[in-house]
Amino acid sequence: MMYLLDILLISLTAALINNFVLYYFVGICPFVGVSRKVEMAFGMGCAVTFVISIAALISWSITTMVLIPGAPLSSFIAGFFLPEQAAAKIDLTVLSYIVYIFAIASSVQFVEMYVRKYFPMLYGSFGVFLPLITTNCAILFACLTIMSHVTGVDNPADAWDLGRAIALAFFGGVGFTIAIVIMSGIREELELCDVPEPFQGAAITLVIGGILAIAFMGFTGVDSGIRAALMPSVTEQVSTMIPPRPDVLAILDLSSQVRQP
Amino acid sequence: MILVTLAIAAGTMLVMAVILSYILGWANKTFKVEVDPKIESVLEILPGVNCGGCGYLGCSDYAVAVVTDNVPVNKCTVGGKACAASVAEIMGVEVGEMIPIRAIVHCGATISQRLQTTQYRGEKRCAAAHLVAGVQGCTFGCLGFGDCVRACNYDAIHIIEGLAVVDYKKCVGCGACSKVCPRKIITIASFNEDQIPTVACSNQDKAKDAKAVCTTACVACKACSKISDIFTITDNLSKCDYDTYTAQHYEDAVKSMEKCPTNCIHFIGKPAD
Repeated sequence: MMYLLDILLISLTAALINNFVLYYFVGICPFVGVSRKVEMAFGMGCAVTFVISIAALISWSITTMVLIPGAPLSSFIAGFFLPEQAAAKIDLTVLSYIVYIFAIASSVQFVEMYVRKYFPMLYGSFGVFLPLITTNCAILFACLTIMSHVTGVDNPADAWDLGRAIALAFFGGVGFTIAIVIMSGIREELELCDVPEPFQGAAITLVIGGILAIAFMGFTGVDSGIRAALMPSVTEQVSTMIPPRPDVLAILDLSSQVRQP
Repeated sequence: MILVTLAIAAGTMLVMAVILSYILGWANKTFKVEVDPKIESVLEILPGVNCGGCGYLGCSDYAVAVVTDNVPVNKCTVGGKACAASVAEIMGVEVGEMIPIRAIVHCGATISQRLQTTQYRGEKRCAAAHLVAGVQGCTFGCLGFGDCVRACNYDAIHIIEGLAVVDYKKCVGCGACSKVCPRKIITIASFNEDQIPTVACSNQDKAKDAKAVCTTACVACKACSKISDIFTITDNLSKCDYDTYTAQHYEDAVKSMEKCPTNCIHFIGKPAD
């Protein structure tokens, strides 16, 4: 139950509350570049969602299996050459960026080949933006967020498992799709508007992006509300876990006695 | 310890590289798209500078258009006749008559010939200077800050005495300069002969105003249009019809040039060998 709630909250946070594009402002390049038509924007969103999920799968696996200190694979291999304690200390997190970029670039290549084969029209309209997913910071951002939740935790039990990582990445991609589709819808209408000359093009797009971001701020606090509604009350838990201390009660009694002469 | 760490790091990258490249290699085979071999061979012949002079996004775009949509093979101004001939050979079509197109600067006033009103101290770009009124007297002519020079990929246009001058030995007519010129005085025209006449002025003001700001402005006196019918006067400005100019008009054009009171008609083009 707790786990499902956690997944729900992570997904909701990634998709809406802390939307990658509109809250963190990562992945702006395709957000501005490919948001002219709704179909194109939706295709781009799907491509990013796919790439981000694959990249998260690969990067989570490699981070937990190889990169972090005490990871099973690296300490197993190091165990042949080193004493057990030293083997568990092998820390390869310096490799994280290069490994992530590696994973992202490969999955983008894969998607490019796939789209080229089965959606030639979409391939033509993407143009240079499809290979540019490689440098889409939203994807690296997702990988790094997952890494920070795997390595940067004090208690090893708090480290994210694969389900949470994929939930963050997939729904981050969904959030990107939502943002870019809303944006392209607005921009299609914008074609008919009389935009002042200095604002035309990228300028008005960024202004609209800012207004959308303000609109998405309305989701702030939804996660804590859901947590409060679905979780057993915190105070109840505390009261059942900690029995009342007799000495504290005695002090309270005593003080009340002192105040009342 | 360090050695083992290094070895594992290297091994990790190596294993990842092998696995991912294997997957990509498989995908490359599985998702292979059959591309018309003609497109690739046309693309090899095209110069590959992606200048956009043909009107397409780049060389590959033009190659696809040539092969699939039967677009004329002579649109590449950079490759010229040789390129068109070899593309036509692949496509099995005849090369149409190919008239070279080149850039023409419609301003002939060097910095000493035009009225300088104030000293411009802003950003040294035509695009910036064009926004400010009063950089120089003439609001139509060349600003001389060289936006076109920076746009040119062929080193074919230079600022000489504050005026953009096309080097017709190098110009290929890609049109990059005419796109960036904020005053739109550079146009792309077809050169029916090696040397063609042009009215090196864009000033559409009345004769008095034009003369006040420039010693070599067109004053629309109609001297040229009376002599030769390739010159026409519109908007207080004489224009040469480049499309109809042929060698037959040469004599009249020379007469017009000599008659022009402000000497703003010039012959331009590749110098005779």
